[in-house]
Amino acid sequence: MSSHDWGALSDDAAARAILDSALDTVDGRVEYADARLIECEELRSYAQLGADPDERIEQNIGIGVRVLVDGQWGFAARPLAAHADAATAARSALASAVALAGSGRRVSLPPREAVSGRYETEAGQDPFTVDTATRHDLLAAWLGAASAPAEVAAAQAGVNAKRQHRHFASTEGSRQHQHLLETGAMLMVTAAGHGDVQRRSYPNSFHGNTAAAGWEYLAGLAMRENAARVGEEAVALLTAPLAPRGHADVVIGAQQVSLQIHESAGHALELDRILGDEANYAGTSFITAGDVGSLRYGSDAVTIASDPTVPGTRGSFAFDDEGTPARRAALIDRGIVRNTLSTRDSAARSGLALTGAARSDGWAYLPVCFSTHVYLEPGDGGSLDELLDRMGDGYYIDDNRSWSIDNQRLNFQFGTEVAYEVRGGRRGRLLKNFSYGGVTPQFWGSVEAVAGPEEFRAFGYPCGKGEPKQWGFLSHGASPMLVRDLRIGVA
Amino acid sequence: MTSFAPPVAPDGLLAQLASAAAAPNADAVEITLLGRAGEYTRFAGGRVHQPQDILETQFSVRAVVDGHAARAATGTLSGLDQAVARATAAARALADRARGKAGSATVAMPAVAPEVVLWHDDTAAFDGGARATAAGRTMRAAADAGGGAAGMFGRALTQIAVVNSAGVAHHALATEALGTLTATVADGTSHWIDLHRSAGALDLAASVDRTIAEAVAGQGRRPVPDGRHTVVLGPQAAGELLTFLEDAGFSGELAAAHVGLVAQRAGQKVASSLVTVADDATATIGLPIGFDMEGTPKRRVPLLTAGVVGEAVTNLATAAALGTRSTGHAHIAREEVPTPVAANMVMDAGDATEAELIAGVERGIYVQRFWYTRLVDRVTATITGVSRDGCFLIEDGRLTAPVAGARFTHSVLDFLGTVDGVGSARRSQPVMNVWNGAVTAPALRGHGFRFGAATVEES
Repeated sequence: MSSHDWGALSDDAAARAILDSALDTVDGRVEYADARLIECEELRSYAQLGADPDERIEQNIGIGVRVLVDGQWGFAARPLAAHADAATAARSALASAVALAGSGRRVSLPPREAVSGRYETEAGQDPFTVDTATRHDLLAAWLGAASAPAEVAAAQAGVNAKRQHRHFASTEGSRQHQHLLETGAMLMVTAAGHGDVQRRSYPNSFHGNTAAAGWEYLAGLAMRENAARVGEEAVALLTAPLAPRGHADVVIGAQQVSLQIHESAGHALELDRILGDEANYAGTSFITAGDVGSLRYGSDAVTIASDPTVPGTRGSFAFDDEGTPARRAALIDRGIVRNTLSTRDSAARSGLALTGAARSDGWAYLPVCFSTHVYLEPGDGGSLDELLDRMGDGYYIDDNRSWSIDNQRLNFQFGTEVAYEVRGGRRGRLLKNFSYGGVTPQFWGSVEAVAGPEEFRAFGYPCGKGEPKQWGFLSHGASPMLVRDLRIGVA
Repeated sequence: MTSFAPPVAPDGLLAQLASAAAAPNADAVEITLLGRAGEYTRFAGGRVHQPQDILETQFSVRAVVDGHAARAATGTLSGLDQAVARATAAARALADRARGKAGSATVAMPAVAPEVVLWHDDTAAFDGGARATAAGRTMRAAADAGGGAAGMFGRALTQIAVVNSAGVAHHALATEALGTLTATVADGTSHWIDLHRSAGALDLAASVDRTIAEAVAGQGRRPVPDGRHTVVLGPQAAGELLTFLEDAGFSGELAAAHVGLVAQRAGQKVASSLVTVADDATATIGLPIGFDMEGTPKRRVPLLTAGVVGEAVTNLATAAALGTRSTGHAHIAREEVPTPVAANMVMDAGDATEAELIAGVERGIYVQRFWYTRLVDRVTATITGVSRDGCFLIEDGRLTAPVAGARFTHSVLDFLGTVDGVGSARRSQPVMNVWNGAVTAPALRGHGFRFGAATVEES
């Protein structure tokens, strides 16, 4: 039995009938319409030091319908309790667009040919078949390893899995069916003592790490071994020296680079921000539409791409949420801005290329520009040890502790959970409370080298955007990179 | 457009949930409905670019077997029986794994929830036509001022119902109006946000006009000098600082782990005597609701009273760990463990107008809003972020030149310790990632607020 044989919407033909009923409701009265019918089920198991285990599974099914009438958008979303709810959503979307007729600037989408297809996440073991006892035995083992030192005051461990049937139809004739599956794990340790509180996390400091994969994904994380390590590191940080202030050369580890990509590259390149659509909430960008093709964003060592066709990441898919087929697009090519993360609406208004980044949080929210799998291409810097050797004296840092950046994605300040003094290319003392700051193009312009593909890791993230706020689920990948003359100790 | 109907028809709902909660295979069952029918008119670039009409419902079932709990949620009433069965099976699996060792999970006992006024007809009347008209007027006014406007006007009907097998049965239907606007005129910007159960309380037209006027006045910004400044924080900036109190130890989770202010410094004075902050479900401001997701009636929880550390907010689990009774603050955020949160944090107003607070400053900075604030150090409640939008120099007791956004890193507790003036007017804003969460604050005047990166001397 396939991991995708579950729920009410595993059958593409049945889903297509519901989508067709929504589009039939507005047939002849719209310039364009699309409908997304989604069934989602998410499993989360947590264990916490000193608390009972937490176990939850959440299921929802619904439809979101978007229409374009007289150049004005309309959108409505409804849970799907009965077949008729699809038509109800379509009528509400139509009403909201009609009410705006003639009220503002019109948008028109360039017509395109229908694109249809089916996509499935490749998975080994279905995480939803793993029994409760097995999951919690694992969590207990991780928690036990992480909390072995007495100064560990709090710890939590978790596993998560999500499966989705995502069906799409448009009045252009596209019919798409995607069946997605993801699995992840998290561990967070807090140590207290010596007048301080410190934390360590693994395998990602932000809600753990999640990949498009089955249960087998966890085996590669070596959670128990790393739980013991981060527990000891959290305690060691309590008495570690403070990281210094000033300027220094720094090798930034893959996790922290992934967060840097997210905040200063991914968000800065979202075309809806660039055009001002998000000015009231998520912010704008220091990059303008006119900068595409010419702005120097970083050094020659910096190539950042969007590629949802890479399998196995939280940003992997075959079609975005308005039906655009996935493809690789170089966003930054050897330091120069070449593309943005765009939707059909934003691409049409700006004249820039459509890169297939329209994404939404399930059926209830409008597709907006979100990152896909956006990553820093590995470079010729070799292994992490070779990169440290190239740096000579400086610091090696990793795992994000705090992050803040201005609304144009220009002025940032980040902190990391760990930092190591590096002398003569060798790691030395553990330091705490490391922070660094900078201005986005200057920062990326100071990247001298990026480690090779053997050091590359991908990290799944949730991300918030839009009004009302919705979540995007995406991925960033990176190898460690060497940055010269970074301003450190800014917090 | 919808007719502003409840997400789930209330007639017979509690009885239906009670029937489902009477599951024969669990020791206790709790069912929580969270529903929201929201309409949002979002505008930017001279058009309403995202009109949205969204109905969401979630029925979350928590089953308890031998003190072990598990949850299963479904989006529709038709899936409820299956959710009860799944939650019960998962709870039993946890109990079996424990091999006879009972867990500590319970459900709430019946109790009366505080009466709160939740319905306002003016919000029901704030329909799509009214919002589109307001958006059009706003965009035209900004254009007439030589700039542009981006924002969102919305109304929602929030529904919560909690029923359990111990006899708890609560239901609430609450209106919510939200207005938010960023006006831009050349390099001048200003931001406004407010929310209330009543649309009339937003004073929409006046708020829009004031925001555009501030953007006009904000043109020609100069940098904020690095260093420590006397500041007057507008209500939005002040409210954002208050959201970090939980990180400083006012959460039952931290208190149970013996971390933070409540665990370490309860009863001690850590802020100015002018600072009184509570989570208050009985307030007539913000987003009050009388009970939490576990069906526990909420009570006013004093966090800081005249600067003295009070209590932490708790849910059933953290209250049990602390040996107290739940304060009614159960919450489950997405992708996180269930954690109690302050969902309607309110700071007491003072008696000064904002102009009077400014008049008491010889030289300082007025900060309208903070942006992207993050905790840097839990022990000192130090956060970092940037100031933005309608910020001005204060010189000789009045606002003078506009200033650009600037990076700051400062301790929330240090700032609250310096507060010597509190405004009389308050505004509310949503709390990120908290269902039906709001924080309400007045303007605050304080001293020694640090802009710019840390210096070597401060290390």
